[in-house]
Amino acid sequence: MADQSLLLRSLVELADNLVDDFDVVDVLSLLSHRCVEALGVSAAGVMLAGPSGALQVIASSSDAMRTLELFQLQSDEGPCLEAYRTGEQVVNLDLAAEGSRWPRFAPRAAAEGFRSAHSFPMRLHRRSLGALNLLRAEPGALSEADIVAGQALADIATIAIIQHQVIIDAQTLNTQLSAALNSRIVIEQAKGKVSQATGTDMDQAFRRLREHARNHNLRLAELASKVAEGTVSPGSLDQLRSEK
Amino acid sequence: MASERLVRLLGLLAGGEGPNAVRLCVVAAEVTRTTGAGVMLLADGRPQASVCTTDEVSSLIEEAQYTLGEGPGVDAHRLGMVVSEPDLAAAGGSRWAAFSGRAFGGGARAVFGYPVRLGVVRLGALNLYRDEPGPLQGEEHVNALVMADIAARAVLAAQAGATLRAFHIDIDEDLYLWGAVHQAAGMVSVQLGIPVAEALVRLRARAFLTDRLVSDVARDVVERRLRFDSEE
Repeated sequence: MADQSLLLRSLVELADNLVDDFDVVDVLSLLSHRCVEALGVSAAGVMLAGPSGALQVIASSSDAMRTLELFQLQSDEGPCLEAYRTGEQVVNLDLAAEGSRWPRFAPRAAAEGFRSAHSFPMRLHRRSLGALNLLRAEPGALSEADIVAGQALADIATIAIIQHQVIIDAQTLNTQLSAALNSRIVIEQAKGKVSQATGTDMDQAFRRLREHARNHNLRLAELASKVAEGTVSPGSLDQLRSEK
Repeated sequence: MASERLVRLLGLLAGGEGPNAVRLCVVAAEVTRTTGAGVMLLADGRPQASVCTTDEVSSLIEEAQYTLGEGPGVDAHRLGMVVSEPDLAAAGGSRWAAFSGRAFGGGARAVFGYPVRLGVVRLGALNLYRDEPGPLQGEEHVNALVMADIAARAVLAAQAGATLRAFHIDIDEDLYLWGAVHQAAGMVSVQLGIPVAEALVRLRARAFLTDRLVSDVARDVVERRLRFDSEE
């Protein structure tokens, strides 16, 4: 059941981010985290279709490999692919019952402890860009209010992608999608370096990058680039507040 | 499973008679409906070598960029952005004074540069040209983006000593666990004190040598079952 006041605060926070100069992956990561808290689900991930048409994870509430894989699997089958292709919400699907519909995704997700999966299409002018995906371990369905909130968050994710463009043609959009996905690759490369250099897992490595960027008023993309290229040492990032 | 577009493009790449590299450029020109294509490697912002070119004019376009150090490919590589000059005549050399003259003289009327890169691993650029003015539209542009992506993987695979079959599998797998592959590259980069570009090649080389999928090797690295510095 959605936490209404948390949801409201999240929407305000996201709107605040969007009217400012923002980093797409950073904002979508924030959005994913807020989804989990406000909608009471276990994991949230945003998947975007690149120029090739293949769906790829651009942001997730968790950077644990198993979670990322569960989202990434949905480029092949699952609620995400369906939502993306049909432009329709795919919600409240009980994974235990969808073994024939999603013969690879459903059992994998169930094995990881999830009970249900939900996807909200990210649509722009009759075109699908991707989908916002939720995984839930708790029993029970998303309420009507949750579903409305989920779609709103997916729409916000779409707005983040198009980045202030008032009129966006297909050309620019494709270029932008490609750039956003490349930006994610830079972050993965930086995460690897930080993880190795500090002996932490990918989740913590990513949080370090985000926090350090924020502490030093840098864009996440810029910091990740410098770390991946070697101009900023991966071991030199600020420690997480929670580690001190 | 790859998307329809990717399946089609990979199918086109697998067909034909010529060696792999040439096919890359031929297909790039075909699916972007341009007159010719070339893939240029750059390092430290400077052109180093051509992977392939389809005709004399595209060779000239690459050659001019090596010699002059300016042009659509050089810019695309440096900026990490798509660079487009749909009308060389109208631009009147305001953009790349020396390069434009040579390209125009060779018969090009429109030139385009697409960065060939994977994250911070910037390998070079895909150069496209047309013998008539006009921008790359819709599908042509999308195909150019995808071909540049494929070119990046092809270059890395070649550097790792891949066979054609191994390369196809690599492209496919990359779509699933590309996150893990790049994380692993970051880790190996620190383990061996090498650039991420080289780490990506090393991961592929290890996969090819041991007949495993790159994503499996990557997973082993990320889950800390495999270190690259333990044997050095």
